[in-house]
Amino acid sequence: MHTEKSQGRFASALSDVFLILYFIFALFPLVWMILVSLKSGPELFTTQFIFTPTIENYQAILFGDPRAAAGVVARQEFPRNFMNSLIASSGAVLISLIVGVPAAYALARYKFRGKEDLAFTFLSFRFAPELVVIIPLSVIYRQLGLYDTYFGIMWVYQLVTLPLLIWVLRSYFEDISPDIEHAAMIDGYSWWHVFFKILMPLVRPGLAAAALLAFIFAWNNFMFPLVLGGSNVQTVTVASLGYISSAQGFFNRMAAASVLASLPQIILALSIQRYLIRGLSFGAVKG
Amino acid sequence: MKTKTIYWIMAVLVILSLVISACAGGAPAPAAEAPAAEAPAEAAAPAGEFNWRAHEGESLKLLLNQHPYQQALVGELPKFTELTGINVTYDVFPEQNYFDKVTIDLQAGDASTYDVFMTGAYMIWQYAPAGWMEPLEGYINDPSKTNPDYDFEDIVPGLRNSEMWTGEAGRDSMGAGSQWAIPWGWESNAYMYRKDIFDANGLTPPTNIDELVAVSKKLKEINPDMAGIVVRGSLNWATIHPGFMTMYASQGCVDYDENMIPQMNSPCAVEVTEKWIDMVKSAGPEAWTTYTWYQAGSDFGAGKAATLFDADILGFFQNQEGAAAPEVLGNIAWAPGPRGPEGQLNTNVWIWSLAMNAGSKKKDAAWLFMQWATGKDFLTTAVVEPQYTMVNPVRQSIIDNPDFQKRMEFHTDYMKTLQEIQAGDMRIHFTPSPIFFETTTEWAQALQDIYAGADAQTRLDALVKSLTEQLQDVGILD
Repeated sequence: MHTEKSQGRFASALSDVFLILYFIFALFPLVWMILVSLKSGPELFTTQFIFTPTIENYQAILFGDPRAAAGVVARQEFPRNFMNSLIASSGAVLISLIVGVPAAYALARYKFRGKEDLAFTFLSFRFAPELVVIIPLSVIYRQLGLYDTYFGIMWVYQLVTLPLLIWVLRSYFEDISPDIEHAAMIDGYSWWHVFFKILMPLVRPGLAAAALLAFIFAWNNFMFPLVLGGSNVQTVTVASLGYISSAQGFFNRMAAASVLASLPQIILALSIQRYLIRGLSFGAVKG
Repeated sequence: MKTKTIYWIMAVLVILSLVISACAGGAPAPAAEAPAAEAPAEAAAPAGEFNWRAHEGESLKLLLNQHPYQQALVGELPKFTELTGINVTYDVFPEQNYFDKVTIDLQAGDASTYDVFMTGAYMIWQYAPAGWMEPLEGYINDPSKTNPDYDFEDIVPGLRNSEMWTGEAGRDSMGAGSQWAIPWGWESNAYMYRKDIFDANGLTPPTNIDELVAVSKKLKEINPDMAGIVVRGSLNWATIHPGFMTMYASQGCVDYDENMIPQMNSPCAVEVTEKWIDMVKSAGPEAWTTYTWYQAGSDFGAGKAATLFDADILGFFQNQEGAAAPEVLGNIAWAPGPRGPEGQLNTNVWIWSLAMNAGSKKKDAAWLFMQWATGKDFLTTAVVEPQYTMVNPVRQSIIDNPDFQKRMEFHTDYMKTLQEIQAGDMRIHFTPSPIFFETTTEWAQALQDIYAGADAQTRLDALVKSLTEQLQDVGILD
């Protein structure tokens, strides 16, 4: 008995050590990115952890480069690129919510011809590689005048965000027994009331998790804004590469830009964390 | 049920395509009216004087790579609008994915967004056969379209001839046929070294390939923490074109013979490759197979390498306050690449250029822009004004400009090296081919394999076999 207990304690201590080691391993790239973002040019290529931190990289990307006159490429359009990412990603998620929630409901509740085919078609947007469709899309976008517009980017982001939202929410709606809806209707609720007052609160964890994931995928997308956008809608993912230019590789500014660009995702994730864990695991094992 | 679903999908697709084509049909209409509106403006020009305002009120869109050259252009654009009344907008994309962007955009043909784009000379071999580039000789030779002070001949011959091409793959096809792009700014490949280290150890820049290997090894011996030489090595065509191609061409090797048979396994080529890889293995950077322009330049600027064999302006960019480590700044010196057995210096070049989109609907206005952007006024400003960095200038008159020469004095032997390189056979030393990027990337793969231990002759034989098959597939070889 005694040995079993100590063995158990030993095993749990061992797993703690492994977890801590893994934690360090997993977070190290992030720590390194933050360190690099605080380094000045000459210290950039050293691997020392002790150095004099500077905020000049953040200043340079937010307010412009004081040394631009020396012929070194200056990028000071970060705030604009950041706003572009924010507008395009939140717009895309919003459109997906408006279109995707009713679609998920319909796919979960109603029986109609070609239902599974339709659901599969939505899913296929997600697993078809972007490169397969990018050239025809670029031609169509130019002909329709959608090239380099916010709406164009939000629209094409539906390929990324919509399937995710529909498939996660569909399983949530399927979990809710239709009896609840019927009961509410007997109590005198209209269908719209049932939908907004009964169903939406019930699927909220799934909605939060799916919307957050959709936002992150849209935010991280690189190929669509590269090909279908010009300078007007250039997002941080495309623009961040510009810190490495022919003249000089500003890896420190790129790191600073990456730190700032990951903030919205981190803030969003933290703010809806209480839904998130439930939301991510809830629908996971459903058929 | 399945068939019905398919019918539904087909019906939706048909309706969609109808809507799209209806929209597409409507779009180009305003642009098609443009020439009619131009006519009175041209007629109003005083006889005998070049009319810069022939396309007043039109607007152009440029596709630009983020680069110091682009910065100079954007800074001076208001002057072009003031001169011509043409409004210019532009999109700038980072260099890493710039050519992906260009390639996809040009595929849109008439629907393409851009009138003029930045390009490299090698891209001509891919873009021109596809019909994406407008031939420019018709504009250059037309006195009603080109201002009398333009002086196209002033552009260094090795550069402008490198952008003339008949459209056929082959050794004689360059320097003839159409002018597909106008050189704008260029890089010659040179040997850059740390003067302080060379002086302290009594070394001099190598004059032939054996000395190049020996000096690199010697430097590594002196400073084991520092690479003796840094050159590019990533799995990319760009690994071949700077130092390696310059050494290869100077040594007298060719990439293809006159019948387009690959020659990368010739005795000359095998010798250069073996020596090059020996040099990189014993004196190069540790992670050589990941090295691109950026790593090569950064290492040299950060004092982690004693020499660099790459574009001359890569050393120039590193030799700037803020870019270079304190011990490096001002200590970089330039020399031409090592010479061949008969003393020949066949330097390969990279040429940033401006080209016109064949799908542009405003070609005359686009040509006005191109002649302004490659003209003497703009290029001189971009070279002489301290806020711009348009080195190397493509025009001989600007290379000779005392203000430019004065600006370059800080960079030891830069101008002397440039003159020596120009006195040699300075041009693109690759043989034009529409599948240049595929074949040259495979060449880089062979270098990496030899670096990893493969026998040079065997691996290069395999390379030649594979390239021959590819050339047969696209119909270049029988």
